Amino acid sequence: MSPQLTLQTPLQIPPSEIPSYLKKLWTQEQIDNKGANTFSLIIWQPAWIEQKLVTTGKINEPILGNQRLEIIEAARQIVLENDLPHSTPPFDKSVLASIKACRDIEPEEDLRGQHIDHSISELKPRRLITLAPTIGKGRELEALVAAYCPLPEEGGGNAACGDVVVLRGDVESLKDSLHTVEQLIPNDLPSWLWWNGSLDEDPDLLNKVAIPVRRLIIDTALGEPLRCLDLLQGSIKNGQAVNDLNWLRLRTWRETLAMVFDPPNRREILHNLVNVDIDIEGENPVQGLLFAAWIADRLEWKLEKDIYKEGNIINAKFTRLDRSVVTFRLMPLPVGKPSIHPGQIIGLRLISRPKDDPKKSVCIILASESGECMRLEAGGMASMELLEEVVPIQKNSAEMDVARLLSTSRGSTSPLLANAAPLAAKMLGLINPTK
Amino acid sequence: MNMPITNPLRIGLRQERVVTPQCLVIFGASGDLTHRKLIPALFELFKQRRLPSEFAIIGCARRPWNDEEFRRKMSSALKETVKESPKEWEDFSSNLFYEPVNLQHSEDVINLAQRLDEIDRLKATHGNRTFYLSVSPKFYADACQSLAAAGLLKDPKRNRVVIEKPFGRDYGSAQTLNQLVQNCALESQIFRIDHYLGKETVQNILVLRFANAIFEPIWNRNYISNVQITSAETVGVEDRAGYYESAGALRDMVQNHLTQMLAITAMEPPGHFDPESIRNEKAKVLQAARLANELEPWKSCVRGQYSKGGNQSQPILGYREEPGVNPNSTTETYVAMKLFVDNWRWQGVPFYIRTGKRLAKRTSEVALTFREAPVHLFDAAGGTPTSNQLILRIQPDEGAEFRFEVKSPGSGMRSRPVEMEFSYDESFGEPSDEGYVRLLADAMLGDPTLFTRSDEVEAAWRLYTPLLELIEDSPWQLPIYPYEARTWGPAESDALLAKDQLLWRRP
Repeated sequence: MSPQLTLQTPLQIPPSEIPSYLKKLWTQEQIDNKGANTFSLIIWQPAWIEQKLVTTGKINEPILGNQRLEIIEAARQIVLENDLPHSTPPFDKSVLASIKACRDIEPEEDLRGQHIDHSISELKPRRLITLAPTIGKGRELEALVAAYCPLPEEGGGNAACGDVVVLRGDVESLKDSLHTVEQLIPNDLPSWLWWNGSLDEDPDLLNKVAIPVRRLIIDTALGEPLRCLDLLQGSIKNGQAVNDLNWLRLRTWRETLAMVFDPPNRREILHNLVNVDIDIEGENPVQGLLFAAWIADRLEWKLEKDIYKEGNIINAKFTRLDRSVVTFRLMPLPVGKPSIHPGQIIGLRLISRPKDDPKKSVCIILASESGECMRLEAGGMASMELLEEVVPIQKNSAEMDVARLLSTSRGSTSPLLANAAPLAAKMLGLINPTK
Repeated sequence: MNMPITNPLRIGLRQERVVTPQCLVIFGASGDLTHRKLIPALFELFKQRRLPSEFAIIGCARRPWNDEEFRRKMSSALKETVKESPKEWEDFSSNLFYEPVNLQHSEDVINLAQRLDEIDRLKATHGNRTFYLSVSPKFYADACQSLAAAGLLKDPKRNRVVIEKPFGRDYGSAQTLNQLVQNCALESQIFRIDHYLGKETVQNILVLRFANAIFEPIWNRNYISNVQITSAETVGVEDRAGYYESAGALRDMVQNHLTQMLAITAMEPPGHFDPESIRNEKAKVLQAARLANELEPWKSCVRGQYSKGGNQSQPILGYREEPGVNPNSTTETYVAMKLFVDNWRWQGVPFYIRTGKRLAKRTSEVALTFREAPVHLFDAAGGTPTSNQLILRIQPDEGAEFRFEVKSPGSGMRSRPVEMEFSYDESFGEPSDEGYVRLLADAMLGDPTLFTRSDEVEAAWRLYTPLLELIEDSPWQLPIYPYEARTWGPAESDALLAKDQLLWRRP
């Protein structure tokens, strides 16, 4: 796997010399080529589980920092070996805590930042800066620098289009290097920060590197749910351009649900909704809450304060514009082979019951597979008019999601997300442990 | 409760591309097209938030207006739209500017360049400029030359020029114009607009063909017996007599709109959905197209002209009685013709195309008729089974329908045709954008997919050259047949198909 071709072997240089080295690299070797007029991307790339799997000898490969199959399978094996619940997502923090050392070994190679997924490299980023923290303390900062170009089949030509900078060391040394990072960001191009890790880790570092002018990419499926939602809504409120991969993965659900109501003769159904049930994979409720919040926001429902948890099921109530009540339930379901993305929605059921004509009740079911369809059909739903759609579950790697985002968006916060995030955070914040 | 016009769950889901900082310069800003199509389309883009804040529109024409006057004229021309969204119009119109320009006076163009620099600084448009030539076709070459001389086309990445139809009057003039324009700018900077390609339903032909596995295997000579492409108008020449007298239906509709529909219907699947792949395939199919009888081209075409019609209470003028039309005019307001596409896919399949003014119904469609079932096992209600037809409705009532035979209810085994329908209105419930909305955005984004490349234009003109030469040199061989206004054209047009034992579809 060599999706990105560097023009020369990455050169290890003292961190303080990076700016001058890069300047020299472009002026001496690439005369008349100022690089791609695209964007710069800073990636926080901890890859803790991969590092641990490699350093404990569970897998025998260089550290690349991507979500490849070998890592996912090795992490799933850890779940089995350590009797973790089968529905534990492979990149869950409990997996990290469970990896026990067979032997402590020094990784053969740490190639983080040098092997960028081709879906990203084909967008010709002008500068990729990877912050690669290492496990353990006391590791001094190292800097690697190279010019690169995408392979011709990815649309690359002969000209070099960008450069990669890798800063590797322990978290403290990386924090100390942030002033160097700031010097490396081209002023005239959009800059993005992809926090490719849990939102629980190092809020201080995240705050420092996610400055407001930078377009932030996060994944609210990674981290403690309330903290993730608070961070999401807080960043949006502060004017930061935020792009949440967990929200982006909801795209097919939003699109399919909207598609159901595109025919004008179905619009009336939306005015008579009385139940919204969402099933999610595993325990993380963030995506389910964001989806419910989006529906509520679009239909102008008001959240009632009566929110409670019954076991691990979240129950809430909304009030429609006509003051009727809509009951909402978010149900986590255990699954045998969970997705790499925690808490993905696997089913949605809406029930519409016109007050004046209950015979015209309609049940709308969106599900990721036929088993889930059948589950949601149970309980007499078939006595109503049924509208059903199957929604393909998102299996893209984070790298592909980020590439899609970089290629299709200008990076500003989606207004839909900006409306849904505070409502989702409010729902989670209001939950009483039991009723 | 009132039915909402918009699906509330649909709002904000479309991922429309936002135009980069841009200055759009419209030459011919005092003309009809500007206030009827261009400014409304730009205002629509503005309302859809697809224009950046770094945006300016500069109207240019010979009239000595200023910014305020231009804004006032546009506001009054669009008064109904402005009334619906006054706040948005106020914001939008602050981006409208005006500069008096006579394209034949080089000093005017130099002044314009200075004004553009000022506006660049004022609106931070970064030198991204799209020049829209909504002027008489005779000024296209001069306009491009003046722009190039003033250095306004020198940056191929930032400067583009959009050219309205008609692009040339025949093959030779199109070639000359292409050469002149290409001397001023790179082909990648030239956007020849055909607003039919901006229509959702025309683009849908591509999606229907290439996003579905069921159509492509039967989209060929083995299954399709003939293709009819129709673009019918109920209106007459209206206030365009000056232009129409020198153009006629062949130049006004066939060479561009109908030929583009033919190309999209008949093209091979492109390897990728990128501008060049699509335009390569369109150009190839046009290069393979020919009149059904090249040696005797008059046998492949029928021309007509509407005569008076209507009734006593609502009489309709004939073409020759219309204001501005020569009372002895021999300009055609109707054309029907038969073409072939000489390639593996379409060899032997006739393509019939027709267009006309003052026809019975306003409609544009592509109708593909499939071959008959090889054996007729059942009695058909109509005597013989109706051939399957796929009809792609471009406008109005945008959508598609498929006609096929089913068992007629009852104890026998008689068959009768039924229709399976898809309607944009019923499925999506929202009107599509005007073609200009899409095309203006694409031009400013530098996406040429839906614009016509030089070789396509030339191939289209070459296709009709034998007819144009006949009209020019021996018009008696291609006579004008009169037809009553608000009918389906002259009887001779029916005869064109009758020779092949076919009938025109009555939409």
